[in-house]
Amino acid sequence: MSRSRARPGPVPGTSDYAGNVLREVSAWLHDRPGQADALLAVALLVVTAPQLAAGGQESVVNRIAFVVVTVLLVASVVARRRYPVAAFAVVAVIAAAQIVLGVQNGGQAQVFALQPTNADLAILVLLYTLAAYRPRPVSIAGLVACLLGSAVAIARWSPANGPHPADALFAAAAGLGGLTLAAWVLGDSVAYRYRRAYYASLEERAARLEAERDAQARIAAAAERARELQEQRARAVDESAARLRRIERDLHDGAQVRLAALAMTLGEIKENLESSGDDHTLALVGAAHQNAKDTLAELRDLARGIHPPVLDRGLGPALGILAGTSAIPVRLTVAITERPSPAIEAMAYFCAAELLANAAKHSGASRVAVSVREQDSGLSLSVTDDGDGGARLVPGGGLAGLRERVQTVDGRLEVDSPPGGPTIVTIELPRHA
Amino acid sequence: MTATSDPLRIVIAEDAAIMRDGLTQTLTRRGHDVVAAVADAEALRRAVDEHRPDVAVIDVRMPPTHTDEGLRAAQAIHKDHPGVGVLVFSQYIETQSATELFASAPAGVGYLLKDRVADVSDFIDAIARVAHGGTVLDPEVVRQLLTASRRGDTLAALTPREREVLSLIAQGRSNAAIAAALFISPKVVEKHVANIFDKLGLAPDDNDNRRVIAALRYLES
Repeated sequence: MSRSRARPGPVPGTSDYAGNVLREVSAWLHDRPGQADALLAVALLVVTAPQLAAGGQESVVNRIAFVVVTVLLVASVVARRRYPVAAFAVVAVIAAAQIVLGVQNGGQAQVFALQPTNADLAILVLLYTLAAYRPRPVSIAGLVACLLGSAVAIARWSPANGPHPADALFAAAAGLGGLTLAAWVLGDSVAYRYRRAYYASLEERAARLEAERDAQARIAAAAERARELQEQRARAVDESAARLRRIERDLHDGAQVRLAALAMTLGEIKENLESSGDDHTLALVGAAHQNAKDTLAELRDLARGIHPPVLDRGLGPALGILAGTSAIPVRLTVAITERPSPAIEAMAYFCAAELLANAAKHSGASRVAVSVREQDSGLSLSVTDDGDGGARLVPGGGLAGLRERVQTVDGRLEVDSPPGGPTIVTIELPRHA
Repeated sequence: MTATSDPLRIVIAEDAAIMRDGLTQTLTRRGHDVVAAVADAEALRRAVDEHRPDVAVIDVRMPPTHTDEGLRAAQAIHKDHPGVGVLVFSQYIETQSATELFASAPAGVGYLLKDRVADVSDFIDAIARVAHGGTVLDPEVVRQLLTASRRGDTLAALTPREREVLSLIAQGRSNAAIAAALFISPKVVEKHVANIFDKLGLAPDDNDNRRVIAALRYLES
């Protein structure tokens, strides 16, 4: 398991130079586990070298076999992280062979190549590795094997030395057993840390996955809700436009008609009185008549402000009337093949009306061009005047209010109005709310 | 009021009952004969076919769609029955409809705002003019045409009095009517008319109806 971490360099100016060097070296070893193991193998070889050199009187074959066994032992160290169980098995087999064929009390080893050497330290290294990298059952099996092996080795070794003092036997057993146990405990404690870290990372992953799933579920719910809201908004926009049309229709069919009839009757009364000589009553009726006429005109303007009836014919005729009543001459271009929804037509109409009024009131323009064109997403209305320019989207201002209204149907409004003019206001609207 | 000396046979097409009844009564009181009062375009066509009135007074908006049924019916009647005058009433100004109406033969065609019923004598006078083959165009429509006209520069060359006269010409008034309206003599009116047509580059035309068209075409161009 290799982990790299930021390496603290030697802190200049401190007296703990040795400690710093140690830290550097250990960090270096941590970052390069393969090379560290190779170094360990080399160290074992070096330590075993004198024993290798000592068998001068043996045959070449035996000596080569001896070297091979040593190399096998040492090579297992290099492979220990990748294949801990396999490497331990190799070393265990060699050690077992050594115990059976190499450990003699005092005499020569039965097989020269299998005599115990310092390379056998590899067993301890591999037991440590087993404990650190493999689950407890496996590493305990290894521990038991090592302890058994040690016991058998001591048993075979002891007869050669005759009646040993019990302490020497005890010391050998304690030493061997202690070293074995120590190797295992060290490995196990490292494993404990690794295992804890591993489980912690598993838990973290599980928690993260669950959080992701939660977030996804919430995103899906939010998207669903957004779609619902959009549908509701479209319905609300359409309904409000329809309601305005109904109000206009009711006004037209109700109040406006009655008022017209009333004005007609008053007009007749006035004409009847004209030749009567009753100037006083005539004046009264005249005033009432004029009042009725003025109210008729106001009501007509009001109805047009709520919903101009001509909108039912389409944007072309409606904008045409707007152009006709504009104080500034208007050049109108309407190029639509498919009529948008009534709510959108109304919105485009009222936006154009307000923009035309703005141009007439504020810009000092002498000419205005209004154009409505189709786009993929809907339609684009642009009003251009040759006035003074300098129109801006001020919060709370008229253009900002228009932009808000347009945004209720996901439309857009852009202003291009450099000082000195010309001013171009472009509004984009979808086909449906 | 004395009954008119020239009773007309009139068909009324208006879907609001109050207005239909009110118009019928007012016209009858003035001595005219309302031969039929209907509420939709179908009934209007049948009534005109049956009675052959002198003039039909038609609301632009009628069932079923309440958009422009009346206008379409007026155009059809004017084509099929050239002897029947059509006076179209509209709640709101639509210069496009007005010019559509006058596009073909303007004789015996009128377009007025509904508001005009408030001035009873004037509107009855308009009905009579249309019945007798004249042309009537609402002054508000003319005003809008004058304001929106691209011929602003040439129109500016007219004196204020000439503008007034042009407006009345566009409304379909005869020289005599213009003289009465402006309190000037007919001879002065003739001079103004000649000057106007000259300044606008229009060919002089004595025919009251044709000169309405000429004026409209000029203003709309």
